[in-house]
Amino acid sequence: MCSRPIYFYCIIGAPLFCLIFFTSLMNQGLPHDLPIGVVDLDNSSNSRTIIRTLNAMDLLKVEAVYHSQSEARDAVQRNKIYGFLSIPRGFSASLQAFRRPTLTYYTSYALLVPGSLTYGAMRKAAELVSGAAVRSQLFAKGATENQAMAFIQPIVIETHATFNPSLNYSVYLCNTLIPGVMMLLISLMTVYSIGSEVKFNTSRYWLEKGNHSILLSLGAKELPYTLAFFIIGFFCDFYLYGILKFPCNGGFLPMLFLTLCMVLVAQALGIIFFSLIPTLRMALSLSCLWGVVSFSICGFTFPEIAMNGPVQALSYLFPLRHYYLIYGSQTLDGNSMIYSWTSYVFLFIFILLPFIFMIRLKRELIHSFYIP
Amino acid sequence: MKNTLFQGLKELIHICQMELKIIFHDEGVFIFCILVPLGYPLFYSYIYTTELMREVPVTVIDDSKTALSRDFIRKLDASQWIRVVGYSNNVPDAREQIKEQRTYGFFEIPSDFSDRIVEGEQVNVGLYSDMSAMLYYKGMFIGATDVSLEMNKKIKIARIGKATNEEEQIIASPVKNREVPLSNPQQGFASFLIPAILVLVMQQTLLLGIGMAGGTAAETGEYRDLVATSKRNRGTLHILCGRAFAYFSIYAVQAAYMVCIVPKLFGLTQLSQGADLILFMIPYILSCVFFSLALSILMRNREMSILVFVFTSIPLLFISGISWPGSAVPPFWKGVSWLFPSTFGINGFVRMNTMGATISQVAVEWRALWLQAVAYFVLAYMSCRTIIYREGRNDKTELREPFM
Repeated sequence: MCSRPIYFYCIIGAPLFCLIFFTSLMNQGLPHDLPIGVVDLDNSSNSRTIIRTLNAMDLLKVEAVYHSQSEARDAVQRNKIYGFLSIPRGFSASLQAFRRPTLTYYTSYALLVPGSLTYGAMRKAAELVSGAAVRSQLFAKGATENQAMAFIQPIVIETHATFNPSLNYSVYLCNTLIPGVMMLLISLMTVYSIGSEVKFNTSRYWLEKGNHSILLSLGAKELPYTLAFFIIGFFCDFYLYGILKFPCNGGFLPMLFLTLCMVLVAQALGIIFFSLIPTLRMALSLSCLWGVVSFSICGFTFPEIAMNGPVQALSYLFPLRHYYLIYGSQTLDGNSMIYSWTSYVFLFIFILLPFIFMIRLKRELIHSFYIP
Repeated sequence: MKNTLFQGLKELIHICQMELKIIFHDEGVFIFCILVPLGYPLFYSYIYTTELMREVPVTVIDDSKTALSRDFIRKLDASQWIRVVGYSNNVPDAREQIKEQRTYGFFEIPSDFSDRIVEGEQVNVGLYSDMSAMLYYKGMFIGATDVSLEMNKKIKIARIGKATNEEEQIIASPVKNREVPLSNPQQGFASFLIPAILVLVMQQTLLLGIGMAGGTAAETGEYRDLVATSKRNRGTLHILCGRAFAYFSIYAVQAAYMVCIVPKLFGLTQLSQGADLILFMIPYILSCVFFSLALSILMRNREMSILVFVFTSIPLLFISGISWPGSAVPPFWKGVSWLFPSTFGINGFVRMNTMGATISQVAVEWRALWLQAVAYFVLAYMSCRTIIYREGRNDKTELREPFM
């Protein structure tokens, strides 16, 4: 296990790389200073106030002021800005003459995250401009600040993003991405470790070492991997919840238990794959397919309830889905483990499944030859 | 002179044929270079084919129980983003529903909701969202904001009392605002992610396929055939170009399938012009092919490329500026991302396909891809020389092949 660099790469290098990569990539949490543009055809103190309002928002940064929509649109297509706000000619004059001028904001959802963030921020800015105009009228009529605000916005939506109040994308994504990558690597490593015995024609010798018991041989072979990956998993948990202080409301021990389940499930998956298709390359390919599709089908970016029926049903076959559900309930929301019992049952079924395949696996190990 | 050129071309075609034979006869390479690029995009597009997270199921705690609060709830339910599945009596009750994963959030309307509005005061409506997926929050937030703005406008007009229609409008909102979506107006998930995945799949399958072919050659000593060829013609260049041409011709077809047929099948946006696409895809495929050829030297056995390259797909998707905004990528990772053809390929293709950019508007990416193609060509050339040198030395010292 320690003798070849590829093991070092898959067990230590790749998981730790992903841990550092994802957490440092998204260290802003919620992206800020997204570059946008303004098309200022009015060139008045009012329009400059609007630009200042936009710039004052954490989320936005006014990258440039353009003189025409087509120029700004070109900048969007060149990826210089994510969207722009257009202030029409004669905006101030119309405002003073109560002709209700229009502020138009152009957004691009080709990139979904910056698209919806700039949309929200620009819409808010436009509402603020409108509100400021009403407020100055109301002040002129002698209204107090409170009265004015109550008039401008009678109903306020007060958002409570439970357990992730700052909408931290790192918290939202890393907690599933990193275990997802680990599961992919673990099942690959499991298939590789068993398949190599067949490849180098040592599988019969290996079984002999284990007293011809497949249980003993397999257990002795996979245990070091279980330990190694669990230590890496422990370190990831420690880094995420201990050092980066990601929310871990269900306690650290249940989280470790979930990590252990994650390692075992991924190993079980590897054993199942190799038992089903005892060709090293095919079993590895199947692990890849499973591991990569997991990220989409588990529903942490695009919710499962919005998917088609057949896809929803299929998602139960991907352990990452159950991991994600348990994480959300147990670790993020801090619910007791009993609330995720169905997901745990699914994980346990996955862990127990290899025992059904043991006999088949033993037969294959004795009789099969390496197929390139 | 003419003769050597002709000879070289013949040699090149011969090597290309040999490589094509490997691709079609080696089951593993065949899967990665032919089947996966054909099947995977279809499966992926099918997962996201519903495009939108509509109708987030929520409950409402209505402490007000007035005509006005019921109107608010009706409007929430009518919004395409929210579905009110029931009422909860109190916060613990509503939380319990979330714990059991029957709902993904709730709204809390305070008991003085109507009174405060009638008295001209401000009132807060609470929005509580489960944060295990960002789209729940987004749906609830957009839906609730739309409803509150609509109701606010009516309330304002009612408060003004006697006024003409025009005056009402002016006081309710002296500045109108309007959104114009420039691309992907329905905010579809497939329209956003699939184009990027298509481009990434090309690079990743090439890495896997060529890596596997290289690993197999290293394992079985097939590289010695290369040595034989190079001895005959002193043509590392021929070998490299011949192999590259084999993969290029296959991926030219794959690219046409991915960028033209797959989006059409699933009704995704396709704004790019044919000629522009061809112009853009040529350097992308070339840089991917040479990139893979250069890296394939590191593969010591057949299965190694699977272990090494597969997991990189996920970091590569994030680093390219698609899932995570490019402006928020730290400078260090930005620099790293420039090493991979996928970064420029994805960026350029998404902007052409989804935002309707022309080839001149993605000139930065286009030039970067050509630069990468040249740089990786040189690297691939050097790695090819290394192999020939390594294998040649083995021949001399150990094997003493007859053609020496």
